Amino acid sequence: MSSGGSSRRLAAEFAEGMRIALGALAGHRLRSLLTTLGIVIGVMTVIAIVAIIQGLDRSFEAQIGNLGAHTLYLNRWQWFASQDEWWEMRNRRPIGTRELEAVQRDAAHAVAVAPMAMTRAAVGYGDREATSVTVIGTNDRFLETGGADVAAGRFLGTPDVDLARPSVVLGAAVLDQLFPRWEAGQALGRRVLVGGRPFQVVGILTRRGQMLGMNMDARVIVPFTTFARALGAKRSLTIAVAASPGGVPALEDELVAILRRVRQVPPGKRDDFALNRQDQMLRVYNQLTGALYGVAIGVGLLTLVVGGIGIMNIMLVSVTERTREIGVRRALGARRRTILLQFLVESSLVAALGGAAGTVLGLGAAQLVALTTPLAAAVTPGAVGLGLGFSAAVGLLFGSWPAWRAARLDPVEALRYE
Amino acid sequence: MNAEPLIAVDRLARHYLLGGEVVRALDGVTFSIARGEWVAIVGQSGSGKSTLMNLLGCLDTPTAGSYRLAGADVQGLADDALADLRNREIGFVFQTFQLLPRATALANVELPLVYRGEPRRERRARAEEALRSVGLGNRMHHRPNELSGGQRQRVAIARALVGEPSLLLADEPTGNLDSATGEEIMRLFAELHRRGHTLLLVTHEARLAARCPRAIRLVDGRVVSDGPGAEIGAAARGVRA
Repeated sequence: MSSGGSSRRLAAEFAEGMRIALGALAGHRLRSLLTTLGIVIGVMTVIAIVAIIQGLDRSFEAQIGNLGAHTLYLNRWQWFASQDEWWEMRNRRPIGTRELEAVQRDAAHAVAVAPMAMTRAAVGYGDREATSVTVIGTNDRFLETGGADVAAGRFLGTPDVDLARPSVVLGAAVLDQLFPRWEAGQALGRRVLVGGRPFQVVGILTRRGQMLGMNMDARVIVPFTTFARALGAKRSLTIAVAASPGGVPALEDELVAILRRVRQVPPGKRDDFALNRQDQMLRVYNQLTGALYGVAIGVGLLTLVVGGIGIMNIMLVSVTERTREIGVRRALGARRRTILLQFLVESSLVAALGGAAGTVLGLGAAQLVALTTPLAAAVTPGAVGLGLGFSAAVGLLFGSWPAWRAARLDPVEALRYE
Repeated sequence: MNAEPLIAVDRLARHYLLGGEVVRALDGVTFSIARGEWVAIVGQSGSGKSTLMNLLGCLDTPTAGSYRLAGADVQGLADDALADLRNREIGFVFQTFQLLPRATALANVELPLVYRGEPRRERRARAEEALRSVGLGNRMHHRPNELSGGQRQRVAIARALVGEPSLLLADEPTGNLDSATGEEIMRLFAELHRRGHTLLLVTHEARLAARCPRAIRLVDGRVVSDGPGAEIGAAARGVRA
């Protein structure tokens, strides 16, 4: 009975606090608006930045998908290396056909092995030309390593590679440049010039978009053997080796053993080659965005603190203005707790409304960024909850001192206050 | 039934420290008031009547002496207990009305019941009843600034009555009203007295004290006389003249 009565009393006090807060907000619209501005901006910043980072994450994950998830890339050097390591790697012997053949012959855990020789060249058709196109020389297993998909025509076959045929598969961007819309369907079978030599178009690659700033569609794919003849064989190769799902660690061990043997690395010496993987990129990316997250959240928190100080300031004014009212309420039986609750409800309501407005504006800002820049924006309910929760917490935190001062007022003094 | 007086104060004192000097605002007063009485506490400003009112209203705590209200010791009660006591036992009527400006008459009158945790519907019904009993049945949804001074004081009286407290404590209730309106309020108090309410009227006006059945006169924080209002009032007027 008594606990039921006291919880009912608390509910009544809370409802009264809500009524007072809404009344005060309505009575001081401009002031409330200005007070919440700090919170609005803080929450907006956090929401917008988090939305943009999450959008980046998604697009990065999609881009990373350009690399096979279970594929090891055997290179002369590591993808992400420090300056010092770089100098050492520059002097490593190139990776060539000897290594390729050894891997093809001996790697029992490999599902597919595809060499990748790369250069840049101009690709022409008639009077049109696409410059700075990435030319990749590979074999028919390239698709299995996750390197590409075919949208039309066919990919390179074993005969193309074995006979070093002048066959080429065009990337979507190259197709766009060489064959305007009305001719796109007729590209198959045409002769194009790659690095000045004639090649026959046998297929078109599926559009893939960007990966880390590289246009994945501005590329053409030719047989590895043809590449060597037409464009030179001196470059170091990348060898893409696909493992079965879960078979990556075993394949990695196997490849290290094969490569050390073929390249005659003496025991005790470091590998003079590197096995790169998709998740290395993820790791570096996460480091980068982790720092960005930190900065964004730091800025957002700082703004929220500034907003909180604004709320504290206005709540102190509000307490002073309503000193007599506090006295009256105390005389009529309000406990200290009641007054404390009243002002806490008001400050957290102001802050939460600011947080809600900031959330809406932040989502709008993120959409604007997504529409006007190449950055994507994704909004998760978690980010919204975080923004609202934080702002209400700021209201509670910074409202507590003014509320405590209000609760501590002496009723006699308060009633006499002019 | 209950022989114990509603109010019993014994050598009640309240001292302040003002600039390093002890001010004896109330210097040991003793009296008791029975249920149903209408008593004036009369004195000049500085006589200690406001201090006494604050103590009797449980808004302040005494430096020394004892105060029993409705059979319970008030001194030594914690702040929350004092708040609950004010809520249940005391109805305040102030000189400056002390209504909440943004709230309607009805919301103002409901307030003591809010702090009692009374359900909304009962609260409303009782507040409407209290407003009707002071003749403001047709002004319930007006805000204080839409009401005359006399009407505002009636709202305040309704607010003081709504919780059915044992004691109505009125501090210069006619001080901010013209004489005709003040007279109206005095007649309302007389009516409340007739209905059995216990009334305490704190005033500096001997004229008003003379209209109360009993008056207690304070000078310099001490009780100098306690008796029928007509006599005390006349004496007080005599002193001033």
